[in-house]
Amino acid sequence: MTITLTINGTRRSLTCEPFDSLRTVLRRAGLHSVRFGSETGETGAAAVLLDGRLISADVMLAAQADGHDVETIEGLSVPGRLHPIQQAFIETGAIQSGYSTPAMILSAKALIDRNPNPSEDDVRDALSGILDRETGYLRPVHAVLRAAAVMRGDEPDSIDIAYLDPLVDNGGAPSDRDGLSEIAPRVVPGSDVPETRIVGKPVAKVDAIKLAKGNPAFTDDVDLTGTLIAKVLYSPHAHARIVSIDDSKARALPGVRAVLHHGNVPRVRYASGGQSYPNPLPYDQVSFDDKVRFVGDRVAAVAADTEEIALAAIDLIDVTYEVLPAVFDENEAILDGAPVIHDEPDMEGAVDASHNLVHHLKADTGNVEDGFAVADRVFEQTLRVHQVHATPIETHVAISAWDSDERLVITSSTQVPFHVRRMIAPLLDLPVKRIRIIKPRIGGGFGVKQEMLVEDIVAHLTIATGRPVRLELTREEEFMSSRTRHPQTVTFKTGVDADGKLTAQEMRIVANTGPYGTHGLTVQMVTGLRGLSSYNCPVKKFDCKVAYTNIPVPGAYRGYGAPQALYALEAHMEDIAFALDMDPIEFRRLNWTDVGDPLDIAQQLGEGDQDASVMPLVTSSGLEEAVLQGQRAVDWDRRDDPAWKQPADRPSIRRGLGFAMAMHGTAIPGLDMGGASLKINDDGSFNLLVGATDLGTGSDTVLAQIAAEVVGVATDDIIVYASDTDMTPFDTGAYASSTTYISGMAAKRAAEQVREQIIERAAEMLEADAASIDLYEGQAWTPDGRSVSLETIALSTLHQAGQHQIMATASYVSPESPPPYAAQFAEVEVDVETGQVTVNQLVMAVDCGVPINPVTASGQVEGGMVQALGYGHCEEMVYDEDGRMLNPQFGPYKIYRADEMPRLEAILVQTMEASGPFGAKAIAEIPKDGVAPAIRNAIADATGVRIANIPFTPERVWNALQQA
Amino acid sequence: MITQYHRPLTLDEAIALTARPDAVIIAGGTSVNADPGRTPITAVDLQALDLAGIDTDGESIRIGATTRLQDLVDSTLVPATLRDLARREAPNTIRNAATIGGAIGIVDPESELLAGLLAFEATVTLARAGSTTEHAVDEILDDPALLNGAIMTSVSIPSNGVAAADRTGRTPMDRPIVMAVAHRDHDGTVRMAMTGVSTRPVIVERDQIATLDPPSDFRGSSGYRKSLALVLANRVLATVTGGEPT
Repeated sequence: MTITLTINGTRRSLTCEPFDSLRTVLRRAGLHSVRFGSETGETGAAAVLLDGRLISADVMLAAQADGHDVETIEGLSVPGRLHPIQQAFIETGAIQSGYSTPAMILSAKALIDRNPNPSEDDVRDALSGILDRETGYLRPVHAVLRAAAVMRGDEPDSIDIAYLDPLVDNGGAPSDRDGLSEIAPRVVPGSDVPETRIVGKPVAKVDAIKLAKGNPAFTDDVDLTGTLIAKVLYSPHAHARIVSIDDSKARALPGVRAVLHHGNVPRVRYASGGQSYPNPLPYDQVSFDDKVRFVGDRVAAVAADTEEIALAAIDLIDVTYEVLPAVFDENEAILDGAPVIHDEPDMEGAVDASHNLVHHLKADTGNVEDGFAVADRVFEQTLRVHQVHATPIETHVAISAWDSDERLVITSSTQVPFHVRRMIAPLLDLPVKRIRIIKPRIGGGFGVKQEMLVEDIVAHLTIATGRPVRLELTREEEFMSSRTRHPQTVTFKTGVDADGKLTAQEMRIVANTGPYGTHGLTVQMVTGLRGLSSYNCPVKKFDCKVAYTNIPVPGAYRGYGAPQALYALEAHMEDIAFALDMDPIEFRRLNWTDVGDPLDIAQQLGEGDQDASVMPLVTSSGLEEAVLQGQRAVDWDRRDDPAWKQPADRPSIRRGLGFAMAMHGTAIPGLDMGGASLKINDDGSFNLLVGATDLGTGSDTVLAQIAAEVVGVATDDIIVYASDTDMTPFDTGAYASSTTYISGMAAKRAAEQVREQIIERAAEMLEADAASIDLYEGQAWTPDGRSVSLETIALSTLHQAGQHQIMATASYVSPESPPPYAAQFAEVEVDVETGQVTVNQLVMAVDCGVPINPVTASGQVEGGMVQALGYGHCEEMVYDEDGRMLNPQFGPYKIYRADEMPRLEAILVQTMEASGPFGAKAIAEIPKDGVAPAIRNAIADATGVRIANIPFTPERVWNALQQA
Repeated sequence: MITQYHRPLTLDEAIALTARPDAVIIAGGTSVNADPGRTPITAVDLQALDLAGIDTDGESIRIGATTRLQDLVDSTLVPATLRDLARREAPNTIRNAATIGGAIGIVDPESELLAGLLAFEATVTLARAGSTTEHAVDEILDDPALLNGAIMTSVSIPSNGVAAADRTGRTPMDRPIVMAVAHRDHDGTVRMAMTGVSTRPVIVERDQIATLDPPSDFRGSSGYRKSLALVLANRVLATVTGGEPT
C-alpha cells in the first residue's frame, strides 16, 4: 500500500505493507533517529511526534499514520545550529549513549509547546514512556526544565560545579547545602590535587552534538545495499538433544539465502566471554551444537531477503528433540544424579563436568579456623542473590559484509572489538588479518556486550551467502538468549573480638553460571576479591563452587561479581553490628581498610600477571569524607527521630535509613591494556585514535580531556575516533572499570610525547629553552609571555622545515588496581500492612580519585545507582518449571521509569591517586555495589526485619514481616 | 500478522467490516500492534469515525470510545480518581494513542482503569447494524462476545460521587499486584472493584473477600493477594465513606 505523510514539514508518499510499523517505515525512509528498543513499544526509543503528540512508533502501523504529520528529531536539527532543548541536554550531561535522546528531546518539545512552564512532575510524566538505563533520569528531567526556562527567558538552575567543604579535619562543620541545584555536580576538593585547565572541568561530551541531533551513529544505522536479515531459531527446551533437523522446507522458501545449524557449520570450541588471550576455560560452546542447554539456546540461523521471510523460514525448520531432564538451582546441579549438562567428549576445562562443577575456587590468607578460635563471637549467615538482566535499550546488533579486499567487516555493538576479532577468527577459519571489527556508538552495554554473542552468526551467514547480513535481537531474545548476572548462594562466616574487630572471615559460595562458563571463572573471582577486601581481617578464606545449570546464560554485567559480594557482605556486617549493639557505621569504621592497609586476598584472586612478592596496598581513600558527606546529605540523624520513623498521619508506614560501604577495583592489574595514538593536524587540532570503547559513559570525552590538558588545547580540538581494529591501537575494551585509568594513561603518555615534539619545535621558533615552555590555550608560551600557536607549529612541521608528522602512540598496563570507595545511603518507606517498599532517596558519596569530568562522573553514579536499585528492589528473571522465562518484556520485567524515581544525589570526593592519570581512579561500576544492601539495611531500620534475599518485592517483605 | 488495513469513513462501513471473520478493530492500535500474532488479520481502524470527545450533561459524562487515554488524563470533566487511573494505565507514549474503548475491548486483566470503570458503574454504547445497545462494563467483561459485530461508540460514567483507589506494587508506577477502587454515588451506594484477585478486574463486595481465590503469579501468591485485598478494601472504603469501613 501507499501512504502519504508529512514528515518534518515535507509531504512524502511511501510504500509499505499493512503490517509495517511506523518505526520500520520511518527508518526505511532514512530517519535513523527512530530507534529500536523493543517490539512492544515500551522503551520509547522509537517515539516520534504524530500531530504534535508523542507516540511510540513501534506499536503504530505506518498505515495508521497515513495522512498525518510526523515529526522526528531530524526536523529540529538544522545544520550548524542547535535547538534550545538539544542545547540543554548537552549542557546538563543528560546524554550518555544518546540512543533514546532524540525521543526524549521530542517529548520535551511536545511538552513545552503545550506548557511553557512545566513542573518537574509534568516533565517526569512526559518522559514516562522513554525507558533509560543510563542516566537515572535526573539529568534528562533537568535538561527539559532548563530548556523550558531558557525558552521562557528565565534563569535556569545552575549547572556549575558545587564545591562542598570537606568535613574531615574540619571539625565536622556543616558546609552550606541550601540552594544547591539538583544537577550541579558536587565535588569535595582534595587538598593535594594540582590545578588543571581541562581535567576536572564539566566539558560537554565530544559526541553530544551528533547524539542530540539523532545523526546516524549506531550499528543499525549502517545501510548496505542488499543486506539480508538474519533470524535465529532458539531452543524451546531447557535441555534436549537434537535428534534431527530438516531444513529442506525452509531452504525451499523463496527469498531464503542460507540456513545454518550444527549439520553444516564446523564444530569449533570456544568461550564467548570477551576476555584477554588465552580466554579463561572452559571452552564449552560451539556456534551450533547438536544439544541445547537452555530455553533460548541457538538451534539454527537463517538469512533471507526480508524479516518476514526469515521468520517464516524459522517456522519451517523441523527439529526433533529428545527432551532431557533439566536442573536450574546451583545447589541441586552439583549433587550426584543431577542431569549432566555437558556430556560431550570435546568440551574442555570444567573441573568435573559429570557433576556440573565448572570451577572450584579456593583462596586463603592463613588458617581461618585459628581466627574463629580466638573470636569473641562468630556469626554465620546465608543469603541468595538472583538473576537480572542488563537490558541496554539497544539490543545486540551486528552487520557483517565482505569488503572489496575480500576481508570480512563486522560492525557491531560490542564492548570488545579486539577480543571479538581474535576470538571469531578460528570459528570462521579466517586469519585475524582478514577480519575487521568496527564499533560505532553503542546504545548501552553494561557488560552484556563484553561477549562474542551475535558476531559469529552474521559472519557465518555472510560467508555462506556472500551478502551483507544483519542480526538485531528482539527484546524477548535479548532477555532469553544474551547474558545476565550470575545468581549465587553466599554464606559469610565472621569472627569478631570483644572490641568489635574482625578475627577471621570466610566466604563460601555456590554460583550459577547457567549452561556455559562464559565469565564464570572471573566473575566469581571478583566476588571473592570484593567480598574479602573491604575490611581488614587477619585471616580470610574463600571457597566457591561454580555450577552448570539450565538457566539462560549468566555473563558479564556491570559490577561483575561485586554487587553479589557486597550485598551479602554489607547485610552481614549490618547484622553483626546489630547483634553487637554497635552503631553500624562505627562497627564498619573499626574494620574498614584505609591507606596503607594490605589488599591481601587480591594476591590470590587476581587475574593478571602480578608480582607475588609485592603486597598490594590501599594507596588512596576518601571513605571517611564520603561517609560524613553522605550522612549529611541524607540527614542520617533522622534514624533517631521516632516521629519521622513512624509518621502519625500514616499509621501503616515505617521509615528507615540504611548504609552500605562499597569498595571496588580499578581495572585488572597486569592484564588490562589500552593504546592511544595522537597526531597533529594543520590547524593545530589533533586526532586521538583509541581502541577503548565508549559505551555512552563519556570515556571518549574523558580521554580527549586528558590529551587536551597535556597538549594545551580545548577538548573540541581533539577529534576522537574509536574503535576500529584496522585504524586504532589495541585496547582490551570497556570493562573492569578500566577505561579512564588504563586507556586514560595511554592517552596521557601519547600526549606527553606529542607535547615534547611540539615544544621542541616551539623552542626553535621562539628561540627559547625547551624546558621553560608551557602549552595552553592552543599556544606554546615562554615564561616572558611570548607565544607561537600550535597551528603555526603544525604548519611548520608539516610543510615548511624539518618536515615530520608530530604524533605518538603509547600504551599502558597497570601493576596496581587502586580501589575507589563509596558510602551508599538509602531512605525507604515500608507499608507494614502490605509489604510494599518505596525507596525515597539514594545518596552516594564516592571517592573516584580526581574525577576527570565531574558531569559524566555524576551521571555514572546516578545511572548506576538506579540499575542497582532495580537489582535490589524490583528486577528479576522468573521462570516456569520448564525453564522458560515468564517475563521477557519490560513491565513484567520491571525497570524504573522517570515518573517513579527516588531522589538521587551523587557526591564526588576527590583524592589524589598517584598511579592514575591526573589522580583518577574508577567510577563506572562502584555505583552498582551499595544500593541493594543499603535498601535492605534501611528496611531493617524501619521495621526491624532483616531479609536475606533480594529483591525486596512486596510479598517477600510482607512474609518477613509476618514472621517477625 | 496484519495483512489488510481498512479505515472506514462511516459507522455503517465499520460495522460491515467487523462482520469479516479475520477483522480486528484498532483504535490506538498499541495493543494489537504489540502482539499481532502470526495468523493473517484485517485491521479496521476507527480513527476516521469521529468518535472521540468528552462532554457532560451534569449528571453523567459521555466519553467517546476513541478518546485517547491522555485526553482522559487532561480532562477537567473527568473525576480525579479516573484521571489518575487513566494515567496509570500506560506511559504517555502509549496514552497518546491508546483509547478508552480499546482498554475495554482488550480486557487487560490488570487494568486499573477498567477496575475504575467498574466501580463507577460505567456503561458502554454499542452500535450494530440498525441498532444501538447499552451495557454495563461488567457485562462486557463477562461476555466479550457482546462486542462481536459491533462498534463501541461511547462510555458513560456518573459525574458525581466520591472515589478512592489504592494499590500495592513493586514500584510506584508498576502494574499493581492488587488494586482496589471504590466509588460512592450521591445516594450513598458504594461499589468497589479490584484487580489482581481474579482473571479480570472485578466488582468485589467487602464481605466476599474471604471467599476470593486469586490466581498466583511470581509477583504475588493467592494467599498474599487475598490479604492485600482486605487491607486495600478497608482503606478505600474508609476513604469514600469518610469513616468506618462499610
